[in-house]
Amino acid sequence: MSYTIIDTCTGCGACVRICPTRAITGKKKDVHRVDGNLCIECGACGRICPSAAVKDQFGHVCVMIKRSQWKRPAFAGDICMSCSMCIDACPVHCLDLSEAKGAKDPHGYPWLKDEKACIGCGFCEAECPVGAVTMVVPVPKEEPRKSRPAAETAR
Amino acid sequence: MNRGYMGRVLMVDLSKGEFREETIPDEIYEKYLSGIGLAAYLLYDRIPRGADPLGPENIFGFVSGLLTGTGSLFSGRWMVAGKSPLTGTWGDANCGGSFSPAIKRCGYDGIFFTGMSEKPVYLYIKEGKPQLKDASHLWGKDAVETEEMLQEQYGPGARVAVIGPAGERLSLISGICNDKGRIAARSGLGAVMGSKRLKALVLDGKKRILPYDREAVHKLSRKCNKWVQFQPPLGPSIGPALIGALLRVLPTAMAMDGMVYKMILRQWGTGGLNQMSPEWGDSPVKNWKGSNVDWPLKKSKSADPDLVKKNEFIKYHCYSCPLGCGGKCSMTGKYSETHKPEYESVLALGGLCMNEDTDSLFYLNELLNRAGMDTISAGATVAWAMECFEQGILTLDDTDGLDLTWGNSSAMVALIHKMINREGIGDILADGSRAAAEKIGRGSGKYTVHAGGQEPAMHDGRQDPGFAVHYSVEPTPGRHTIGAQLYYEMFQLWKRVRGLPKKLPFQIYHKNSKYRATEKHALEAAACSKYMNVVNGAGLCMFGTFLGIKRTPTFDWLNAATGWNKTPEEYMEIGMRIQTLKQAFNIRHGVDPRANRLSDRALGIPPQPQGANKGRTVPIEKMMEDYWRQFGWDPSTGAPTGETLAGLGLSVE
Repeated sequence: MSYTIIDTCTGCGACVRICPTRAITGKKKDVHRVDGNLCIECGACGRICPSAAVKDQFGHVCVMIKRSQWKRPAFAGDICMSCSMCIDACPVHCLDLSEAKGAKDPHGYPWLKDEKACIGCGFCEAECPVGAVTMVVPVPKEEPRKSRPAAETAR
Repeated sequence: MNRGYMGRVLMVDLSKGEFREETIPDEIYEKYLSGIGLAAYLLYDRIPRGADPLGPENIFGFVSGLLTGTGSLFSGRWMVAGKSPLTGTWGDANCGGSFSPAIKRCGYDGIFFTGMSEKPVYLYIKEGKPQLKDASHLWGKDAVETEEMLQEQYGPGARVAVIGPAGERLSLISGICNDKGRIAARSGLGAVMGSKRLKALVLDGKKRILPYDREAVHKLSRKCNKWVQFQPPLGPSIGPALIGALLRVLPTAMAMDGMVYKMILRQWGTGGLNQMSPEWGDSPVKNWKGSNVDWPLKKSKSADPDLVKKNEFIKYHCYSCPLGCGGKCSMTGKYSETHKPEYESVLALGGLCMNEDTDSLFYLNELLNRAGMDTISAGATVAWAMECFEQGILTLDDTDGLDLTWGNSSAMVALIHKMINREGIGDILADGSRAAAEKIGRGSGKYTVHAGGQEPAMHDGRQDPGFAVHYSVEPTPGRHTIGAQLYYEMFQLWKRVRGLPKKLPFQIYHKNSKYRATEKHALEAAACSKYMNVVNGAGLCMFGTFLGIKRTPTFDWLNAATGWNKTPEEYMEIGMRIQTLKQAFNIRHGVDPRANRLSDRALGIPPQPQGANKGRTVPIEKMMEDYWRQFGWDPSTGAPTGETLAGLGLSVE
């Protein structure tokens, strides 16, 4: 099974740029298509498509989500067993193993090294046997107090 | 239907530069699993009878395991298989790291190579497209350099398996590396890859590996992980060493529980036994001639596990391993870091050569990993050369001026450099001790210790006759990772498989009973072989399975990942089928299984005059016959009988 593109596609190419397996092809402004042999059902095309033109493997049309609201992995260090299954599962290689903390805990742990590359597919969460990875919508970081905090609240 | 395996293999013809994908029917997986079973099934009749292992007609392949990527633990092992140039038998080697899932993520359960390229090439697979690329610029580079260059070019997601200069120069004791220093070292398959002028595999696949029921696999993994994480403090490393000494003096032995070994692995890695093992008589000393008397704690202190661990800056876990027995160590000198020297490397380059120089152990470990040469065989070959030097068979003229007295670490380093570069005496030694003895002659052959041409590992059959049996009877002779009496105790197979003798943990028995060739021992040895074939078909790590079949649920994981409903006995039959097919492969290639018997010295013929294994002789002939009988093979020749083959559904010539 794979994702498919329907004819509401405007050929903007957003999905082509985000697809981690280069499964999507098509001319600009033409309806694109997904190569079922390459598609890994990560869903990135569906989340990024502005014209609701992507159907998932069950035939549901995907809803666009603002990229800053895509879920990202959060790691529970106390449960994690450093097996690196999540790192291997990531199709965009945005996870990496950390340095060891010291002699007391000499193991490396996974962390989101390249936040911008993360496509929110959740494969890391799905492949972790012990439930140490959870996909969460990122909370905006507490920014250092700037000169005009009012602007922040207005947004 | 998702069943954990990918259902396809890639065949690469290096002579023509062609690729062919083959779909493997489901029933083949049910009969042979994936991994080593799949390799045995595919290679049995495709490698022509009597093929030259280093010729174009030999086929060799990389296989992943059935459980790899399904969410089971310990499933990061990949294997290479083909006809071994070192032993002329079925050859395979097993390695951890991150390469095993990479094979499956390219959509294959195995990648096989036939033919021979004219110029050096490497295989690159991305987005479902395999390509052969020119490797002239990589030829001659060591394994770590090559991996770094390829990862720089293709990104950190690219997984690389590579041969070093030893493989390029067709050293018969060379292997294939990944993760900058994990090596599939045995059987000399690095030379096969070198003969095909295939420098590396670079895999960058992103396919998903889909088991039948991931949640069920995960549930079993969580239960298993609880056992792995249970880790009381073990104290300083002198503890195990003293226990080793105690085990030596007691007239009794005690059945081991794998949890104890797991704790040692977690704390120190395989090197946790560096001092315990020689004390106990498990590790050979001074080219198998010496004993713990020659290698007392004072000397073995050079590889004190705590000392080695001091240099470790991070634990190294293979893919999907919660245990993490590996480590990365910092070091001074030419190389800044190395994978923590494993037990086998330390003892082969240490005690076996009487080498007490810790720095040289670290250096040689990294040097051999980079060269892609087997540390066990390299150490054993050097030890043999040292004994020849002591006996006057080799003189300073022969050794190019190297003073090969026992324990001369600088001479060892120089000699191993020569072996890697095939210079002078190194050219003779680079093919292992048996080949070297054949070239040198002058009675040097009686000092070699090998089984079928492969140097056995650092586990002494005079301490645990199970090792001697498996060194001698396995289709890949000289292998220590299949079975032993100790392994049988730890596998605890009787808890799941009917009809196997019980050996309860911590049960005390007299040491003499180990040396009796009984049917019970043969039954246990056969069970180990069958089970390890299942484990290697599943791609699991042997250390993980040491926890015992109840704690590391191999059979249940397989059922959950594939959706099959097989009983443990059915899985053991699959193991028997794989073992029989490998043996049939040897028969087909004219190998006489009796000739693979371990060398006399390592069997206690004559017995040792002192030390832990004083006076011990292994009744090997009887034990080998008994083992073959258990498999339904002809006990006098070791050849599988027609009846057995038919019973297993094997149609062989």
